[in-house]
Amino acid sequence: MTDPLVTVDGLEKYYYENDTLLDRLTGAEPEAVRAVDGVSFDVREGETLGVVGESGCGKSTLAETLMRLREPTGGSVTFDGDPVFELSGGDMDAFRRRAQVMFQDPFSSLDPRMTAGEIITEPLAIHDVGTAAERRERAETLLEEVGLSADQIDRYPHEFSGGQRQRIGFARALAIDPEFVVLDEPVSALDVSVQAQVLNLLADMQAERDLTYLFIAHDLSVVRHISDRVAVMYLGEIVEIGPTEEIFEDPQHPYTKALLESVPRADTDERDRVVETIRGDVPSPRDPPSGCSFRTRCPELIQPPWLDAPQAAFREISEFRTRIENGDIDVDTRWERVGDPDREDRAAFVDALREEAFDEDLPDNDEETVREAIRALADGDREAAAATLRERYRSPCEAIDPALPAGNHPDACLRNEQPADVEAAREEWEADHDAPEVGASSR
Amino acid sequence: MSHGRLSNDRGGLRGIVRGGSGGESPVISPRTLRNLRSELSRSLLAKFGIAILAVILFTAVFAPLLAPHDPTDQNLDNANVPPLGFTATENQTTSETVDGEVQIVEEEVVVNTTAEHPLGTDSLGRDVLSRTMFGARTSLLVGLFGTAIAVVLGVTVGITAGYYGGRVDDALMRFADVMLAFPSLVLAIALIGLWGQASLRIPDPLVAFGIASAEMPEDIVLPGTVIVVVALVNWVWFARVARGEALSVRDQEYVKAARSMGGSDLHVILRHVLPNSLTPILVLATIQIAAIILLESSLSFLGFSGAQLSWGFDIAQGRQYLSSSWWIATVPGLAIVAAVVGINLIGDWLRDALDPGIEGQGGAP
Ligand code: SF4
Repeated sequence: MTDPLVTVDGLEKYYYENDTLLDRLTGAEPEAVRAVDGVSFDVREGETLGVVGESGCGKSTLAETLMRLREPTGGSVTFDGDPVFELSGGDMDAFRRRAQVMFQDPFSSLDPRMTAGEIITEPLAIHDVGTAAERRERAETLLEEVGLSADQIDRYPHEFSGGQRQRIGFARALAIDPEFVVLDEPVSALDVSVQAQVLNLLADMQAERDLTYLFIAHDLSVVRHISDRVAVMYLGEIVEIGPTEEIFEDPQHPYTKALLESVPRADTDERDRVVETIRGDVPSPRDPPSGCSFRTRCPELIQPPWLDAPQAAFREISEFRTRIENGDIDVDTRWERVGDPDREDRAAFVDALREEAFDEDLPDNDEETVREAIRALADGDREAAAATLRERYRSPCEAIDPALPAGNHPDACLRNEQPADVEAAREEWEADHDAPEVGASSR
Repeated sequence: MSHGRLSNDRGGLRGIVRGGSGGESPVISPRTLRNLRSELSRSLLAKFGIAILAVILFTAVFAPLLAPHDPTDQNLDNANVPPLGFTATENQTTSETVDGEVQIVEEEVVVNTTAEHPLGTDSLGRDVLSRTMFGARTSLLVGLFGTAIAVVLGVTVGITAGYYGGRVDDALMRFADVMLAFPSLVLAIALIGLWGQASLRIPDPLVAFGIASAEMPEDIVLPGTVIVVVALVNWVWFARVARGEALSVRDQEYVKAARSMGGSDLHVILRHVLPNSLTPILVLATIQIAAIILLESSLSFLGFSGAQLSWGFDIAQGRQYLSSSWWIATVPGLAIVAAVVGINLIGDWLRDALDPGIEGQGGAP
């Protein structure tokens, strides 16, 4: 194992909303958006680390903060022994030469008013490397290396295709001979057929020039062939990281498993892919769930020790509970549907909502608890309904925040190995909570 | 007149703001040239505007050669002569001795036109055509210099505000709003009170080198105060447009890329933000030249300009003779209209050609 070139330790990037002068005068609480929420990993010299996650999971913010294009709110990044966030002057200059970024958007990543030659030589001009003639020569060489031709040097970006533009963006990143390149979704905007060519180019150049890559993508299949290791991100945190083959053959975290199941087979259209096994929306990073951030969508949500329901039923009950807690169930329209203006026929209401909310058969005890909660709902007592469900169906996943342990292939799920303090917290939680008696809570 | 200027600005601004950035053409790429040419061949109005402005420019530059008379030459015997093809009458009071008594007779006399003064003369007998030709110089100088200063000031402030955002933006744009709240005339009065009607006299090379007749005025008068005033009144428009452009450009990935390579703020602004904000600023500038010519006229009209030879000044002079000698004010008035229309037509042409798709008919091939 080689040494890490880049070490990211507890990196945090919070944005604060409600933080204008007016808000401060009126005393509004600044609201934190946790785009990157405590991320740690190494990138070893010469390897490619893939970072994968759905859009909005903070992977691009991670890349930009790591490159110090945004100032972090916490944590540190070390590049070849230097603390990146403390560099200034000549040291910062050196970092800007040794680490480069290639961006996602083939249209906005190249200045429309500059020629290919000007674009590729921009880093050289900034760092004052070589004469104008030497730079031009270098640009011509690079154009050929990335699979374009030297006589296209005076063309403008709009005269190139998307794939060609990405090649120019890559040539620009290579112009100043960096050691480390952050590839921020370099092929996401390209057609599938062009993706493979650009990926091959990236791999060839890496081998030729001993480059270290941080490769960001929203699609596991894209990183598979180019990455040595893969980190999976969810809501600003890394939930699993490990060698590529292990991640694909033996995924540990329920989110990784779900992502893998959603990877299309070779014959399906990549663009129609939906993440089906993961229901629901990504929660807002403004208000991340307590405990495990994936728990609102996790198919493997852990049952409390007193419960032994079928997993599918438990998941449905948990989702039903979330809807009640969030006030997403409109009782009035349900009563209207029952067609009982006096709201006396509670049994009809309960049957109707029970059928609407559940596909699964529920074991008797659970059936009774769910109906009890719905009865409370029928009476307009949302709090009691939520409390009834909460008491019996609370999951350790909502109380305990899993950590990402050290090691070769760790993951942040309570079902798997966790650091001692997390295990201890979980045991304590289980000791504190007893099984409620069915039907014993309010009414 | 200043009201006309304001509404004019707004219309222009709206068109520009809608255009936004994202124009893909380099400053003078072949494609831009193609667009300009094809738009020109399509638009009769654009050709018309260019023709008008060319005539005015030519007249302004070669006024000492073209003008039939010295524009400042007074001849009271030949005052209030109407333009060719018109007649005018004038009340004359004469006294004559009839039978040893002095009688005062009021009679209407017809003032005849003369070919010497094709557009007539003013109340002091100065040639209206010559004055209008020389007046073009003042108007165009004020228009060009005033706009240039406004562009430099406005673009600097606007791009700084838009690029840095946050508190810098708040402070600068608040300041700009305050400037906007001052009526131009109040600003003019204040500045003139401060440093008088400062004007610069530049020797006219055509006269100095003996190309034109030595009878022509020796100097070109550059009304400094007026130029500063019109620039101060108009820079805010440029600041706003530049700020909007900078705001959208700074989020482009090529700006992020330049910063990730270690490009300084100055590098990013000069190399990326400025060039990509230029198109709407250019279009706005053409519109503002017209607005500034109008403003100069109203300042001259009110006597705030140092220039004694400008369209606005002549309108002011001719106003009191409007009922009898209408041409004194009307001829320079028409010149203003022609210049403003011509420049606005050119502005429309530039906008249609540089940002195809703003105007429904303009962009579609
Ligand atoms: S901790 Fe719980 S909710 Fe989170 S991934 Fe593991 S099982 Fe799912």
